[in-house]
Amino acid sequence: MSATTVETPDTSPAAPTPEMGGFIRRLNAVTGVVLGLVLAVVAWQVSSRLLPQPEELSHNHHDDAVMIITFSVWAIGFLIGIGAFVGPVRWLLGRDLTEADEEFLAGKDQGVARYFRFTTDHKVVGIQYLVLTMVLFGVGGLLAMLIRTNLIRPGSPFLNPTEYNAIVGLHGIIMIIATIVMVTGPFGNFIVPIMIGARDMAFPRLNALSFWLLFSAVPVLLAAFPLGGIATGWSAYAPLSDQSPLGMDAFLVTIVIFAVSSGVAGANMTTTVVRMRARGMSWTRTPIFVFGTTTSVALGLVAFPMFMVAMILLAMDRGLGATFYVASGGGSPWLYANLFWLMGHPEVYVILLPAFAALLEITPVFTRKPLFSFTAAVVGIAGIVGLSLFVWAHHMYVAGWAPALNGPFMVTTEMISVPTGLLILVLLGTLWRGVVWTRLPVLAVYFVLWNFIIGGVTGIYLSDVPVDQAEHGSMFVTAHFHYTLMGGALTATMGAVAFWFPKMTARMLDERVGKIGFWTAQIGFNITFLGMFAVGLAGQPRRVADPSSTFAAGNLVSSLGAYVIGIGMLIFLYAIVHSWRNGEPAPGNPWGGKTLEWQVPTPVPLENFAVPPVVTSDFYSYGEPPETPAPESVSVPRPADAAAPGERPLEGSAS
Amino acid sequence: MTAAATHVVVHDSPEVVWRRQRLGVLLLIVADVAFVLSLVFAYLYLRGLDTEGGWLPKDGPQPAGAGLGWLIAAVMATSWLCYRWAESSARAGRRELVVLGVLAAVVLVVADLALQIYQMVTAGFVVADGSYESAFMALTGYHVVHLTLTFLLGVGIWNRARLGLVDADTSHLRLVGFWWTWVVLSAVLTAAVTSLTASPHAGS
Amino acid sequence: MSLTEARPADAEPPGEPSTSRPAWRRAPIFPILLIWIVLTALLVAFALVVPARLMGAAASPTMREIETTFTSFSLAAAPVAALVWAILLYSLVAWRYRGGGRPTDPGPPVRGNNRVQVVWVVVSTALCLFLLIWGLIVIQPSTSEASSTQAPLVVDVTGQQWVWNFEYPAAPGAQSDELYLPVNQRVLFRVTSKDVVHSFWITQMGVKVDANPGATTTISVTPDRLGTFDIRCAELCGLYHSYMQTHVHVVRAEEFRSWLATAASQAPTGEVPSPSPSGTATS
Ligand code: HEA
Ligand code: HEA
Ligand code: CUA
Ligand SMILES: [Cu+2]
Repeated sequence: MSATTVETPDTSPAAPTPEMGGFIRRLNAVTGVVLGLVLAVVAWQVSSRLLPQPEELSHNHHDDAVMIITFSVWAIGFLIGIGAFVGPVRWLLGRDLTEADEEFLAGKDQGVARYFRFTTDHKVVGIQYLVLTMVLFGVGGLLAMLIRTNLIRPGSPFLNPTEYNAIVGLHGIIMIIATIVMVTGPFGNFIVPIMIGARDMAFPRLNALSFWLLFSAVPVLLAAFPLGGIATGWSAYAPLSDQSPLGMDAFLVTIVIFAVSSGVAGANMTTTVVRMRARGMSWTRTPIFVFGTTTSVALGLVAFPMFMVAMILLAMDRGLGATFYVASGGGSPWLYANLFWLMGHPEVYVILLPAFAALLEITPVFTRKPLFSFTAAVVGIAGIVGLSLFVWAHHMYVAGWAPALNGPFMVTTEMISVPTGLLILVLLGTLWRGVVWTRLPVLAVYFVLWNFIIGGVTGIYLSDVPVDQAEHGSMFVTAHFHYTLMGGALTATMGAVAFWFPKMTARMLDERVGKIGFWTAQIGFNITFLGMFAVGLAGQPRRVADPSSTFAAGNLVSSLGAYVIGIGMLIFLYAIVHSWRNGEPAPGNPWGGKTLEWQVPTPVPLENFAVPPVVTSDFYSYGEPPETPAPESVSVPRPADAAAPGERPLEGSAS
Repeated sequence: MTAAATHVVVHDSPEVVWRRQRLGVLLLIVADVAFVLSLVFAYLYLRGLDTEGGWLPKDGPQPAGAGLGWLIAAVMATSWLCYRWAESSARAGRRELVVLGVLAAVVLVVADLALQIYQMVTAGFVVADGSYESAFMALTGYHVVHLTLTFLLGVGIWNRARLGLVDADTSHLRLVGFWWTWVVLSAVLTAAVTSLTASPHAGS
Repeated sequence: MSLTEARPADAEPPGEPSTSRPAWRRAPIFPILLIWIVLTALLVAFALVVPARLMGAAASPTMREIETTFTSFSLAAAPVAALVWAILLYSLVAWRYRGGGRPTDPGPPVRGNNRVQVVWVVVSTALCLFLLIWGLIVIQPSTSEASSTQAPLVVDVTGQQWVWNFEYPAAPGAQSDELYLPVNQRVLFRVTSKDVVHSFWITQMGVKVDANPGATTTISVTPDRLGTFDIRCAELCGLYHSYMQTHVHVVRAEEFRSWLATAASQAPTGEVPSPSPSGTATS
């Protein structure tokens, strides 16, 4: 019997052990969904009967409470059903998981089924995150198309204001969640442990937990659609969010789950990187991408609890009639705004840092040069992290909560451009005289630098109080953050996908199709959002379903551009899906990269390394003779006496 | 090929595992610290703003007395002392004392839970009464959450100590100890913050 | 020249070996310099012409200041953006690897260059300081204006889903749903809201402040152009946020006085006064 199971590993799970552990072998995403749904229905019925019905109908806290309970119970039920609590319960009972259980959880010999289980292998989690992120982008992108279709001409017969507001909020938050996880989820989980020479994450079960928490939040978020959407924009400003339809409850439960998920993931990933680097991998030999992901999740670890508090207070307002944000009860909308932006600004760097770090990792490989300055890159990242916690009020210059602080916040905000500039310098310095191998990943570097300069500089305008007084709440802000979020972070991630695709899927990405999609999307992107800057400057407010006809021309341009993005993204997506299924098999190290993930075989075996690696230098020694000290590594590679003519050949071969 | 494919279970040394687990737990605590500080911020900010005199208006309910809050913190601190005692007993290898110490700590947590709930129920106001009431209930309510988690962890440790799982490897005992310490600190913080009631602007 | 002579001594980046040609003449500096100058010129032209145009005719000193700030920031940013883009363009064309397959020769193993790094940091810090000092100076007038001798005209602005309401304490009872202001007279807005957060925005005057329930925020401006301008709500406030817009009529002082008097006399039931003077205002 055991013989058969060994020979057909894909179909049947390992034979259940006689003890209670056999139980976890029967749990998977389906049992999770079933249990979650059943419990949610029960909770819904019970709570709507038991909770007191409101006397006055103006604030129906009853329905909100029912919704919040139902959604929370769904998530808990789902997690129970998928087996997330088996480990803790066994711990509580003093009967820890056995080695065989752990191995089962790591997805040993389970084929595709392991993607639908509480699997702890970091590579499985990475793929799960990748697919989930792409689904989220798909939904968010579709909503963006609806938004742009509605704005294509004034009069907007397409969506009514209710639908429009609901869709804008959903687009915003879906995109924000997707961008937060798009690098640290797929690549932080799949690549980082291999990059640092570890066999798995520090806490594999927390790793699975973080993914399945996020997964359980997605249906809740999507449930906001039929419940009236998120009619407040993604920032859900109170007290508008106090009086919004039930979709708001879905939103806040989503955020709470998401915050827990990213907290768990953050603690896990930070520990992994701090404690589990290979022998010899000192901090100065640790790849820069590892710095980017770690600082990002660590920043999230302190930032997201604040968001969670903002949402829990909102839940109390909505469900229990608390008055945190209700002025007539002594509350204040400024409390919400402060909590939200205390999270909200660090969050934009949570998004940006790992994406930029991926570019810093990509560039040396595709220019065949060392990273221009590792120290500068680390200093840049550290500076950004440090400052980002002290700039939040630049979103509230005109809120009137503390006009006297506008000056100081302007100072901290503008200072961030210096460390951010350092990262840009490192990218440029690495490109400098490189042998630029223009594959898709490095194209992302070019487009990001183009886009992000625009996004960053317009951020600097906004950080200036008088300018913000004119532009706050206008489409100018919207254009600014699409240039940073999409033009910067998402574009960089597309490069990262192309870069690590061979390692993660064991297939080569179809570059020809991918590049067509990428270029199309980038061109469309610039058309769309340059047009949006124009209408912003002309005074079009954000989040308006029916902008005045003064802005018709700019909006038309933006909408047409958006369709171009949509087409480009579809082509890119096609390249991904098609190559994943039918692409050429990838060699272990298609790009000639030096970091550890390229040294292990593809597909990467369970536990990654047969022998734990030992690191003796950093990973950027392109063109440097092995084990040479610094003076030689910066010396001229060509004979010095042939200086002027010697310069020609390289130049000549390139032009 | 076969050699490479063979799955070798590699065990890290207990010291390595301990350092890893300690960092992980401390980081999770950091996240919780951020959470508690945000609640404290909410309380103090609303108190400082006193929007439309709505923080503890004269015609509204009276604030909860600070005494009970401090008592709750004190009970939690006692529980923590018991837990510390259990930890030092574990170092001395006295299993019975570990079991006893953790049990005492857990019982005190339950007592604290009862006190906390008593305080919330007998406060003379409900969440919906106004901003002070909301902020008070959020802080104390979160202490309830803390205590519930601590209770579960404590029961787990007690059970494991009973089964002898703590004898050789005290790491879980010590990890839960970190959490216990933080819960005490947060209880003290909660007591201190909720003892500040009247808004500084209330007079003017 | 001294630059070139100093070169062999300190560890300069490779690829710039000493020759008799000045540094800026050598490839790749020269073509990049050229692209940089061209791009800068284009961006400067853009900065001078486009953004301020899009913002429409300024109707207050505040707005003119904002436009100047915008232009000067764009001018300061132009060389930075142009430099980055110039290097990008040049590298994409000149340093591109044209062979098939993976490049076999590595690039020059440059690891940092202190001079470049220092210059970059110093320049970006200097730029940053320039922007900061500029910004801090520009926020000043609002306080210096407050101490000006002329007492401001006070207008109470109340946002409410989804209309604006204006009251003029100078003439008790006077209220309107379109704003009337005398030209060249400083106005102080006291802004609040009855329900959710709105944001009071007079587009062409560069005035914006949130209308918060339970609090009053203030902002002041001196309109200095006659005509009708846009007031919009700049904070999502629910269903008809798009339509929460109205106009401000800036009129001559005497017209304003007579309008105010009529408005005050029509006040009693809080009915919206018919904007009889609007004909004169827009004339
Ligand atoms: C990363 C974040 C992100 C991204 C990528 C986008 C993408 C787009 N956004 Fe979005 N947007 C926001 C974040 C984002 N947006 C936020 C936060 C708001 C504010 C909401 C609010 O006000 O509350 C907003 C608001 C917003 C508005 C303003 C609405 C209003 O205020 O009235 C508009 C209007 O045109 C708009 C348009 C678009 C368009 C056309 C795209 C297009 O570029 C979309 C193109 C499609 C895709 C990008 C997805 C397809 C891609 C894949 C499926 C494959 C890639 C996968 C991997 C790389 C893993 N967005
Ligand atoms: C990835 C996301 C991301 C990033 C990186 C940034 C980066 C920056 N952002 Fe942005 N921002 C958002 C996402 C992001 N932002 C979002 C989502 C919102 C709106 C939220 C909402 O309301 O819905 C927003 C809104 C926003 C506002 C509020 C606008 C308003 O609502 O009124 C402000 C104001 O200060 C601002 C400023 C900045 C600044 C100064 C930077 C800086 O970090 C930029 C620094 C970079 C550079 C300057 C370029 C490179 C530097 C050099 C080449 C060196 C030399 C240059 C100089 C010295 C100038 N942002
Ligand atoms: Cu009022 Cu938007
Ligand atoms: Cu910000």
